[in-house]
Amino acid sequence: MRRAPDLDRLTQELFAEIQSDEVPYEDLYETLLQYYQTPINLNAATREELRSLLLLNENQITTLLNHRQANGDLLSVYELQSIEGYDLRTINRILPFVSVQMSGANSSRGTLWQRIAREDNNALYLRYERVLQERQGYTPPTLYQGRPTTRYLGSADKMLIRYRVSHTKDFSVGFSLEKDAGEPIVWNPNNGQFGADYVSAHLLIQERGKLKALALGDYQLQFGQGLLLSSGLAVGKGAETITTLRRSSVGVRAYSSLLENSFFRGGALTYQVAPTVQVTGFVSHKNVDANLQQTQDSLAQYDEFTSGLLYTGFHRTASEIANRHRLAETLGGGNATYTSRDGNLAIGVTGLFTYYGTPILKRPEPYNYFEFSGRENLALSLNYSYVYRNFLLFGETARSSGGGLGTVNGLLASLGSSVDAALLVRHYDSDFHTLYGNAFSENTRNINETGVYIGLKVRPVARWEISAYYDQFRFPWLRYRASAPTDGHDALLRIAYTPTKTSLLYVQLRQRLKPRDLASTDLNNLYPTRALPLPGEQLRQSILVYYNTAPTPQLELRTRMQASRLRDDDGLAWRSGYVLAQDVGYQFNRTLKLTARYAIFDADDYDSRQYVFEQDVLLAVSVPALYGQGTRVYGLAEIRINRSLTLWLRYAETRYRHQDVVGTGLESIQGSLRGEVKAQVRMKF
Amino acid sequence: MKHCLPQYISTFCFFVIVSGVLPGAGVRAQGNGPGVRGARAAALGNASVALAGEVWSMGNNVAGISEIQRPSVGFYAENRYFSSALNVGALTVALPLGRTTAPDAGGVMQGTEGAAPSLSPAPAPTWARNGVVAFEAQRFGGVLYNETRVGVGYAYRFGQISLGARADMLQISIEGLGSRRMVLGTLGGQIEIVPRRLSFGASLYNLNQAKLASYQDERVPTILKAGLAYRPGSQVLLLVETEKDVERAANFKVGLEYRPVPVLAARLGLASLTEQASAGIGVLAGAFQIDYAAAFQQALGFSQHLSVSKSWGK
Repeated sequence: MRRAPDLDRLTQELFAEIQSDEVPYEDLYETLLQYYQTPINLNAATREELRSLLLLNENQITTLLNHRQANGDLLSVYELQSIEGYDLRTINRILPFVSVQMSGANSSRGTLWQRIAREDNNALYLRYERVLQERQGYTPPTLYQGRPTTRYLGSADKMLIRYRVSHTKDFSVGFSLEKDAGEPIVWNPNNGQFGADYVSAHLLIQERGKLKALALGDYQLQFGQGLLLSSGLAVGKGAETITTLRRSSVGVRAYSSLLENSFFRGGALTYQVAPTVQVTGFVSHKNVDANLQQTQDSLAQYDEFTSGLLYTGFHRTASEIANRHRLAETLGGGNATYTSRDGNLAIGVTGLFTYYGTPILKRPEPYNYFEFSGRENLALSLNYSYVYRNFLLFGETARSSGGGLGTVNGLLASLGSSVDAALLVRHYDSDFHTLYGNAFSENTRNINETGVYIGLKVRPVARWEISAYYDQFRFPWLRYRASAPTDGHDALLRIAYTPTKTSLLYVQLRQRLKPRDLASTDLNNLYPTRALPLPGEQLRQSILVYYNTAPTPQLELRTRMQASRLRDDDGLAWRSGYVLAQDVGYQFNRTLKLTARYAIFDADDYDSRQYVFEQDVLLAVSVPALYGQGTRVYGLAEIRINRSLTLWLRYAETRYRHQDVVGTGLESIQGSLRGEVKAQVRMKF
Repeated sequence: MKHCLPQYISTFCFFVIVSGVLPGAGVRAQGNGPGVRGARAAALGNASVALAGEVWSMGNNVAGISEIQRPSVGFYAENRYFSSALNVGALTVALPLGRTTAPDAGGVMQGTEGAAPSLSPAPAPTWARNGVVAFEAQRFGGVLYNETRVGVGYAYRFGQISLGARADMLQISIEGLGSRRMVLGTLGGQIEIVPRRLSFGASLYNLNQAKLASYQDERVPTILKAGLAYRPGSQVLLLVETEKDVERAANFKVGLEYRPVPVLAARLGLASLTEQASAGIGVLAGAFQIDYAAAFQQALGFSQHLSVSKSWGK
């Protein structure tokens, strides 16, 4: 019986504070949490799989593999304590995500159907969410200049059905149906709509002799450092300054998340052609959201084009529905990976060809000058990973159509039993186009960036850990909202203290300098004579203090204070935001657990908004952006009705001071309160 | 909102002190400051105020020369951004005064023959009985502008504390304007807070605020440096340091040195004010310690540093 993973604490340990609205964090975390749902078998896991946990350093992985080789299979997870480099903190961190099973062949446990039928790790989730107040988008349309105004076409309910049964290194079968708030339920098979707006299903079979993986339906791929193919298993810069730097080459993975655009649909197959060589081939075809436009100019290159893909996954208004699944995307490719017998050296080549049914033509802005345009993109890459004693070298270099190059190379080093260091250098040309890549970068995409990252982790005395990183980056070409080449830096320092097994205290400081165009009024006041509107040196400093303790086994207390301030340029005023949150969790008995939070926030404006992690129903993550003045409260009940049935109920509300409208546009609510309810049922069979 | 800021502004000050990050100011040249000594310090982002026991301590923190046990000489050359007008050359000699009580392999201290050998595996470090004296000559610049400096320093160690002082004769010459000479005084101190694990160093350069010119009351910069050296393990050295010139923004520096084997060292460093990252290697070749460092500044490019030092006798 594994301990229930404290995913909240995991997110605290792995992720830095959020500073961007461009990334759908909630779905990203969900992808990661999904990954952690299938525990890794310590007796069968390869070096690469152990790395993908992000919780072990290279030395610990090496000693575990050596222990396995010398003494055979582990008999219990508690045997980890006898392995060099495994302190209690490490063991406690990985315990929820690992298991110890006999490493015999899957077929020894019966046929595939028997194994699926008997598998314990299966669950059907039903989830329902709704904002209680009426939002603008759900009111009857009014007339504006004789035409009805835009409204959402569906109901305000958000619903999700998901089923998955999986066993590590054996199989995974599942499906998901989702309807976002505001999306109508349409049954139109001709248009690929089967009720719910988002439908996904997958079948993945692994380790059948030389057939290492076969995926049908929705799947994801991750090879090398994720420069061409990355499946959301990427944390990037965070409070964990060493292990999250490197991406794990996990290959073909089942897809059961809700990110509506970041998966492949079709088939993928990994085959072992030699004891040390695995080859993967894959094809995918799906229709993605895009805004199609007709060319007005008869001499133009294309009659019809799209100015870019839409990634939100929302299909609520008439125009969103018009853009739904308008762009056919076909892609195919392959990967061949050589792994030495001891697992220390891995070299892989990857190819990816993407073809769009309609050419892509970004808006003619200067910052889009080098962006991808056209119908097709061919990208080829070479990746490597090599362990030498206490050093781990890794990297990937790729070239895309048109000659753009991208490269990312890193080094992780255990410099002693208590010091880890990391170095990562990356360079992505302004015309390097990776449409599914998500390698390490400051930008949300791997384009137009050069940078050097240095990370350090020190455990000076027992129970104390200091982690820090310094990342310097340069953007040689313009970016959205930065109309000149710019450079900046990002630095983080975290001091963590774990006085006991059940408590954690840390202070985290971060500073980021990332230039951004100034508002025209600021520009005129600051530089009345400046001919060129150079971007302002936007500086953001933030602090996070977090304390988590369990005075008794039933009671858990969490306090979180975070504050940040930012300044658009030297000499301009600081704007700041602040949140103080207190959480209480109490496990009444085996049946009922209650968690609640009361938080007070005060942020000057949208730029100084605060993102605060919240506990949510299992497999969901909630990270609301708080700005203005007010309170944020939520309560969550987890009720275990019996062995197979668990119910979660959650109510959350934000109350604002001195505001009579909450939100903007179609999401706006009259009044100063926004409350939402969420319920989820899990059935295990 | 504004009224609840002070509490965390002060926290930020703490942050800034320990992490060495600040919005960068302009890049500084030598500018009559103490400059860099040794490619080891250069590779460590010049976070060198807590380093000791090498001939380059003469320029980085004069208190550090008190730990030198054998006569040593060092030569250092530096080139910034491939411009010959920014070259630096330095020659340093350090001489221990009086006998060092060298521990022998058995751990038996001199003068205690016949006593039971001590059980500590590592012999206690020793230092010259009457302190260490050092001489240095340094030149910065090219034909149009150059600075020449001749210095003498002395440091003495008692218990866990070292103190040092140094006097410099600094001559500044500008083509067509002639030259000017002045005398500068420098003080330094180092404390081993936790033996062989944590030490602290501070140094004050030009405490007399020597005057360069009456015009605009131009003075040689007065610079105070303070920093920590921390050894989490036998192979790793971490350094943090802050440096404040009276007339410039504060600089924060961090350095990391990794010595997998005794004869080889790899180093990394960062400096916030110049936004400069540096890296280097050091090799112990027989009696010679050879160090090389390269530093990169995003706007100005590469600097290179090379130093060679040698010690004599037992």
